[in-house]
Amino acid sequence: MLVTWKYRLRNTFIQRLDPRTRFIYMACVIAALTIPEIWDYRIILPLFVISLTLYLMARIEWKDVRRTWTYIIVLVFFIVGLNGMLSGRGGPSSVTSIDSPVVFMVGWVPVTISKIWFALIQIMRMLTMAIPAIMIPYTTDPNIFGTAFRRMGISDKVSFTMDLAFRFMPTFARDLTITMDAQRARGYEMDKLKGGIVARIQRLAPLVIPVVMQSTVTGEEVIDAMDLRAFGTKPRTWLKELHYQPRDYFMIGLGVAIFLTCCILKWGFGVGGYFVPEWFSRLFA
Amino acid sequence: MNERANTWEFGTRQVVYGAIGAALYGVFSWATNIFPLPAAGNVTFRPAVAVLIFFGAAYGPWVGLLAGIIGNTLGDMLTGWGVFWNWSVGSGLMGMIPGLIMAAINDFRARNDIMKAVGWGTLGIIVGMLFASLTEMFVGGIDLNTALLGYFVPAFLGNLIVTVILLPILMIAFAAVAARRGR
Amino acid sequence: MSESPLVIENLSFQYRTRPEPAIQNISLELKPGEMLLIAGSSGCGKTTLARCINGLIPRSYRGKREGKVLLHGTDVSDMQIADIAQIVGTLLQDPERQIVASNVFNEVAFGPENLGLPRAEIVARVDQAMERLRIEHLRDRETFNLSGGEKQKVALAGLLAMNPSVLLLDEPLASLDPASAYEALEVFRSLADEGKTVVLIEHRVEDAIAARPDRLMYMEAGQVKYLGPIEDLPVEINHREVKLPADWVVKRVRQMGEKIDKPDFSPNTLQGDPLIVFENVDFRYSEETPLVLQDVNLTIRHGDLIAVLGPNGSGKSTLVKHTIGLLKPTNGRVLIDGKDTRTVSIAQIARVLGFVFQSPTHMLFAPTVREELEFGPKNLEFKKDAMEKAVAESLSTVNLKGLEEYPPLGLSFGQQKRTTIAAVLAMRSQVIIMDEPTAGQDYANYTHFMDEMCRPVADGSQSLVAANFAATMFITHDLDLAITYANRVLLVGDKHIVADGPPEEVLKDFDLLMRYRVRPTSLLRLNVEMLPQTKRFLAAEELAAYS
Ligand SMILES: Nc1ncnc2c1ncn2[C@@H]1O[C@H](COP(=O)(O)OP(=O)(O)OP(=O)(O)O)[C@@H](O)[C@H]1O
Ligand SMILES: Nc1ncnc2c1ncn2[C@@H]1O[C@H](COP(=O)(O)OP(=O)(O)OP(=O)(O)O)[C@@H](O)[C@H]1O
Ligand SMILES: [Mg+2]
Ligand SMILES: [Mg+2]
Repeated sequence: MLVTWKYRLRNTFIQRLDPRTRFIYMACVIAALTIPEIWDYRIILPLFVISLTLYLMARIEWKDVRRTWTYIIVLVFFIVGLNGMLSGRGGPSSVTSIDSPVVFMVGWVPVTISKIWFALIQIMRMLTMAIPAIMIPYTTDPNIFGTAFRRMGISDKVSFTMDLAFRFMPTFARDLTITMDAQRARGYEMDKLKGGIVARIQRLAPLVIPVVMQSTVTGEEVIDAMDLRAFGTKPRTWLKELHYQPRDYFMIGLGVAIFLTCCILKWGFGVGGYFVPEWFSRLFA
Repeated sequence: MNERANTWEFGTRQVVYGAIGAALYGVFSWATNIFPLPAAGNVTFRPAVAVLIFFGAAYGPWVGLLAGIIGNTLGDMLTGWGVFWNWSVGSGLMGMIPGLIMAAINDFRARNDIMKAVGWGTLGIIVGMLFASLTEMFVGGIDLNTALLGYFVPAFLGNLIVTVILLPILMIAFAAVAARRGR
Repeated sequence: MSESPLVIENLSFQYRTRPEPAIQNISLELKPGEMLLIAGSSGCGKTTLARCINGLIPRSYRGKREGKVLLHGTDVSDMQIADIAQIVGTLLQDPERQIVASNVFNEVAFGPENLGLPRAEIVARVDQAMERLRIEHLRDRETFNLSGGEKQKVALAGLLAMNPSVLLLDEPLASLDPASAYEALEVFRSLADEGKTVVLIEHRVEDAIAARPDRLMYMEAGQVKYLGPIEDLPVEINHREVKLPADWVVKRVRQMGEKIDKPDFSPNTLQGDPLIVFENVDFRYSEETPLVLQDVNLTIRHGDLIAVLGPNGSGKSTLVKHTIGLLKPTNGRVLIDGKDTRTVSIAQIARVLGFVFQSPTHMLFAPTVREELEFGPKNLEFKKDAMEKAVAESLSTVNLKGLEEYPPLGLSFGQQKRTTIAAVLAMRSQVIIMDEPTAGQDYANYTHFMDEMCRPVADGSQSLVAANFAATMFITHDLDLAITYANRVLLVGDKHIVADGPPEEVLKDFDLLMRYRVRPTSLLRLNVEMLPQTKRFLAAEELAAYS
């Protein structure tokens, strides 16, 4: 069981972006939709298209993301979509307005046109915000995180914690494998966990305890090793350098623009609130 | 054995155990996605959580916080489920809050010290998972019910059960290790 | 900076948590370019002394410290850790735990980065250090999948990048195979020749001699027993605590007039009935990767005590993992008691065959030794009374009686090791297989451990393993273990078993050994010399009985 990161060097526009840019852009999109509470498909649809375009630009192989997407889809459609359609809550109150015609009943719950539309909008809205987040593992080298944090003004120590964690993951994954083999050699069978939930979770101890305890011992030596190399005595130099390129300014600009536009539309012109478009209602006429 | 740190100290020690905790949290979260684990309904059990809370209780709030945030992020990087800041911060709180009683734990074998850790761990789980679920509300525009029933309750139950079972085992084991190294 | 780089004046230290001092009034002075070898049994205070020199004491470790440690004339306790770090470079025992960066370049740069030096200078220093150790080719590798030897070179480069004048090496050979260890020692020597002061801590004096240290300091219970040239090391020094060249041991044993009677000659019973059979086994870890084992044929028989030798990465562990079914052959088959490992579960195999992993910390988890030992039998669904019997017996076999209720994780390393053996014993396996049972332990500990396991007890009766197991197999990098304990040697090299037979036959072919990075030791040379009289390989002490 070797740690294999989802990240692969693909050298696409997205990948060449500075990690900071990704975070900032993501923040902008989320803020743009949530702070002015945008529910208008005329705004959400274009943004959704932008997210989708970025995703396609990243050229992530489908086999890599299949599991993720199934997970996301299930989550979004069932927990969010279905629930939105039935309850209609979570968005603006106007969704549940009684004067919206009922399409069908689920048990005693009336499903109105308004609720259906809301569910659709909500799914699109979520995906718009989720896609930039979903892309990160496949397009960002975790190796660079520490430096990125540092350049976002986070302290030396915290930033380095990131790098150190990254360094230790393969080691502990290997320890876990070895421990698993060692216990299996003693007749321990992971897939044959008998008994109730409690018993079955207790059966994890033979895997968890050795790895964790070994790590606590390792820690003491790592501390010495780092102190002996003057860690934390002075402000660090970070060898890896990050420089914003024009493409970064472009993306950040785009993000900020999106945010401002949404704010202005909503608060300036009152555009962006929730409503069911005529053509959609007519579908049910 | 290096010196035991006081609650809010932040030095090499915290950096190292923060990183180790994060790495373990990441690896275990990732491993539970590979190996079959008991699950009831949409409640999944993640031993990683017990480890995270142990690190908080054993090494303090900063370690817990960093281990949670970074560990969750790296874990997601590894499994590929995107990087969702609110769940990372939630995990951070989950590790930080039990860290607040580090100073009050003198004997990892002692019944009531273990109780303390489990108690504060539970509090951590509640706060952490509430934070994550409720932010889903604002971000995802889902209603309180969905947030609570769809996200919070399953996460809370799963994490609670794992912690109640595994945390004491971890602490007892740790007591032995610490004793051996003349702390 | 005129004063000698390192001066210690009657230094004593007592850990806050300990009743007795760890080291007591130690004094010494080292010149530039001088190399000091510090030897002594486990727990005698070597690492503590090192911590006093590199400033971890009194900084990270509290306690009562007396005396002085002067670096170029100033006491460490008056210096900033950042300044000490640029004078003393410390190499810890396990490079795995010293490496803090994910790739080689960043690892070497770590120190200078912490000093906040300008980028250009850091890069210059890193390149220089890597060039110095001839590891430029590793520059962009990940630190995780470096070999043990490479890891250590990288760690050392990380120290050189701080250009220290004193190098402190705490058991740097423990986790290396002999060939890599030899290379490392060559490097240490050359660094000393360049004027660096080198303090080398190592039990295996025999190996360390290859670095031609100027002086030896022998410690016992925190005190200096001897400090001077290696040659005139007094005979009182216990050759069981530190590993001395075989001929020295013989000389000592004779001089001390220890009574050693010639061991009774028990011929190898290679004709026992087969337990494990490899039939033209090929193996690869995945379609992409090349074969790791190719056309391996091997029969393990009743009465075998097999030592598996071979260079790093030659496939030793892969081979033994096949015997327990952790790995299944890509082609060919492995039979255990006539059953193909593909057709039976590991749990079933475990009834026949016990596997002990290198580090006990990889398997110990239970709150008490008893529960630890019951784990296996429970998995194999032993009846309660049968289990209790098995546990009790295995406990007494490895003499851990009285520790039943003690937490395994709280035991000493040696005891933990024996707990793992007992855990296997308790499963009533017929065959026991150990992957590097001695790696990372100090000499005294592991010879003691192996003696307990594999040496026929005084009254001429069988050894512990012989008495309890039909056959034993252990992987090792320590040739002397193969010489002393095994009755059969497997030499694994590039995918094949290149030699298989009694030690007396396999090991006398030095070129063959050298070809597979196994360095003949003084014990081997002496044994080969004396074979006509002894008829078989013996431990150094026993050789003293012959003239
Ligand atoms: N951190 C510590 N706290 C308390 N006691 C300690 C600590 N480290 C070492 N000791 C004790 O000090 C004594 C000397 O230990 P030290 O590690 O210096 O010996 P050593 O020669 O390095 O042993 P080894 O060869 O096993 O490394 C031992 O009794 C040990 O138990
Ligand atoms: N899990 C694995 N996946 C892929 N390749 C592996 C794995 N384990 C080992 N290998 C490769 O198989 C070869 C043999 O490894 P193995 O561990 O058997 O060698 P070894 O003789 O035990 O080495 P050492 O003396 O360092 O223990 C090596 O090239 C190694 O890189
Ligand atoms: Mg030591
Ligand atoms: Mg091996």
